[in-house]
Amino acid sequence: MISMLYFVVESMGSFCSRQQPLNEVDSDENIQAAEIDRRIAQETKTEQHIHKLLLLGAGESGKSTIFKQIRLLFQTGFDEAELRSYTSVIHANVYQTIKILYDGAKELAENEPNSLKYVVRTDNKEIGEKLSEIGSRMDSPCLTKEIAKEIATLWNDTAIQETYSHGNILQVPDCAQYFMENLERFSEVNYIPTKEDVLHARVRTTGVVEIQFSPVGESRKSGEVYRLYDVGGQRNERRKWIHLFEGVTSVIFCAAISEYDQMLFEDDTKNRMMETKELFEWVLKQSCFEKSSFMLFLNKFDIFEKKVHRVPLNVCEWFKDYQPMGSGKQEVEHAYEFVKKKFEELYFQNSKPDCVDRAFKIYRTTALDQKLIKKTFKLVDETLRRRNLIEAGLL
Amino acid sequence: MPQYQQQASWRLEGGGQIIDLETAIKDGILGGGGGGLPAGKDGTLGATAEKLDLKKMIEELDSAAAEDVPSVFICPISLEPMVDPVTLCTGQTYERANILKWFSLGHLTCPTTMQELWDDAVTPNRTLHQLINAWFSQRYLLLKKRSEDVQGRAAELVQSLKKVKGQARVQALKDLQKIVVGHPSVKKTVADSGGVSLLSSLLGPFTSHAVGSEVIAILVNLCLDSDAKTSLMQPARISLVVDMLNEGTIDTKINCTRFIEMLMEEKSFRWEVVSSLSLLVALLRLVKDKRHPNGMAAGLSLLKAICSHEQVRSLIVSVGAVPQLVELLPSLSPECSEPALHILDDLSTTPEGLSALKDCPQSIPNAVRLLMRVSEACTQYALSILWAVCKLAPDECASLAVEAGLAAKLLLVIQSGCSPELKQRAAELLKLCSLNYTTTLFISKCKLTRTIQ
Repeated sequence: MISMLYFVVESMGSFCSRQQPLNEVDSDENIQAAEIDRRIAQETKTEQHIHKLLLLGAGESGKSTIFKQIRLLFQTGFDEAELRSYTSVIHANVYQTIKILYDGAKELAENEPNSLKYVVRTDNKEIGEKLSEIGSRMDSPCLTKEIAKEIATLWNDTAIQETYSHGNILQVPDCAQYFMENLERFSEVNYIPTKEDVLHARVRTTGVVEIQFSPVGESRKSGEVYRLYDVGGQRNERRKWIHLFEGVTSVIFCAAISEYDQMLFEDDTKNRMMETKELFEWVLKQSCFEKSSFMLFLNKFDIFEKKVHRVPLNVCEWFKDYQPMGSGKQEVEHAYEFVKKKFEELYFQNSKPDCVDRAFKIYRTTALDQKLIKKTFKLVDETLRRRNLIEAGLL
Repeated sequence: MPQYQQQASWRLEGGGQIIDLETAIKDGILGGGGGGLPAGKDGTLGATAEKLDLKKMIEELDSAAAEDVPSVFICPISLEPMVDPVTLCTGQTYERANILKWFSLGHLTCPTTMQELWDDAVTPNRTLHQLINAWFSQRYLLLKKRSEDVQGRAAELVQSLKKVKGQARVQALKDLQKIVVGHPSVKKTVADSGGVSLLSSLLGPFTSHAVGSEVIAILVNLCLDSDAKTSLMQPARISLVVDMLNEGTIDTKINCTRFIEMLMEEKSFRWEVVSSLSLLVALLRLVKDKRHPNGMAAGLSLLKAICSHEQVRSLIVSVGAVPQLVELLPSLSPECSEPALHILDDLSTTPEGLSALKDCPQSIPNAVRLLMRVSEACTQYALSILWAVCKLAPDECASLAVEAGLAAKLLLVIQSGCSPELKQRAAELLKLCSLNYTTTLFISKCKLTRTIQ
């Protein structure tokens, strides 16, 4: 955008200048043109000092949660008005969740061999139908105490619990449990969402959002200035807009490693981990990121930790050569290292030889944990600052 | 006895100041301050006991005080400080053992003045002995005190590391590293006060580069026991070390490299620990960095150690190690050529490695160049590589090799003092390469001199 404006001004300048000596009108225009030139040069210079970070990743990989965390950590956080604005979102999330579970139970009851365990109790069916209908509306009603009680009852139905634990083929959001556990609080008359609630709230990102921030260092010296961009994760026309981010300092690629047994929202025949793999490959090959550092956030580790014991990694085609080695914490570490190596392999296979110097680091994250994200970001900041110094030849 | 002045022409190579008695008394060498003379002030204490102590002190102070020792304390024969000074009738003083040896060789002269001795008696110079003793005692005690201080300081730093965070932690680590490097005796103190496990615990997935690089700089100078090494091999810690290898200063990179090599010596070491693409890519980058020859050597050493594990070899080949190393060969110093060739030889045992060697146009010429040029080991590895490549594709490679002057080199090997197996190999390779040529053509390719012909 800036370069386009510059071009226009340049040509303006050349149209204005003439061979004959300038009269007063001309010199005014020239002064104006010079002023615009100066301001553009200055802004370009300031822009260069701002490190641009681009959050990329498949849908529901945790990009927006990280975005919110950065806001909470390095900006003024959410004020009351903004917190209140999330109330309707959270209520909508609750309805969506219970709808998915109820509809899912019905589906499993029809298609699964062990169908009986998915059949909801008769007296809960009416509630289920009602909630399912509410959940399908564009505007959901406020969450009242009565409805909350009904939802709780349905949630506690064994069939629904069964469905939840086999939720990988359905589109049950990861924070389903969190919503269900906090129903009472959500349905309070004067409910104002907490930071925690906002972090869990699920809104599909459309378009691009950005924030500018400066992580203040321990010594309180002026830190670097960062601008963080979050783009929507779904599959639409990525290739058309990705080049607008040419030359970003760093790409923060979020991959939810707990998704190895789940299917895409847009296409429920496609495994989410495979989608992430392909997306990462695609991003690596883009020439606009040739000079950018790559920070890979292997996210949703908390869910991964628990899932690894129940669901073997090899259900995902990419991980089919995984061999479990033990149990307990050691097994979790082993599984994590395996996934990490796979991503590392993918990175080096898809990076051209002349990109060998770009930074590539892998971080284990749980986007919902603020302390962890703070620590992680400190490391990211350190790496980027060192990069700067190395490039300037000072290290 | 006539007083004599030491003349400038006799100033000895030991350096040091001329001490006259006045200065000696003024500076309090004779029993002043913390000097603490041993009780033999009147010289009656068992001379042997004093001598042993003095000898020990001189030894321990050797490097530290060498520049300072006053020249009057030095024996003109041995140029060492005198433990039992004796004076001749000429007034010159020597170490007893040395002058007696001089006499036993049949000389009855004073070595420095060249005068003939009118009296072969040797008189113990008690005054000088006391001065020497006092001088060394003072410095010895000072050294002991300073070294104790250092031990205390080290223990203090280890304790402080348990509490401090942030910048203070980085500073404490830097201080500890300086002490460990400057005073090797501190290593034991650090290990005893739980320093090693403390330092290891500082390494984790959230350790900053600043802290991590200092910790490694310390650990690499300590003796780590088996348990410590095993605990340091945890994947999260290794990842951290690999990251620092990628991003650190050249010193940090070298420390990380040496650190990993240390861990590899451990019994419980498994090859999976080093089967990391990031590690291999970082090592190759280090090896190719011509601005830092130390780094190149360290990198090659670790890469060689890693390469000795068969299972990692194909991974090494997959990061393009073969062409990069081959292209590096001509510019390597002799010390680096050997590990580089060893690595390539190991890699040639895998199909991917061998094929990469064949595909790289410089492999054969560079290997031929290194035959009989650096060392027998280098020749052995280069020969092994050439053998493998030529066996793989005799038609293609044999002619390339011969064009590069292989034949003459092989003849050299055969005629040299190398081991019989090596000569045998050379002969076989020569035969293999000559298959496609007629005798005359081949001989011309050998560029042999007339005599050899």
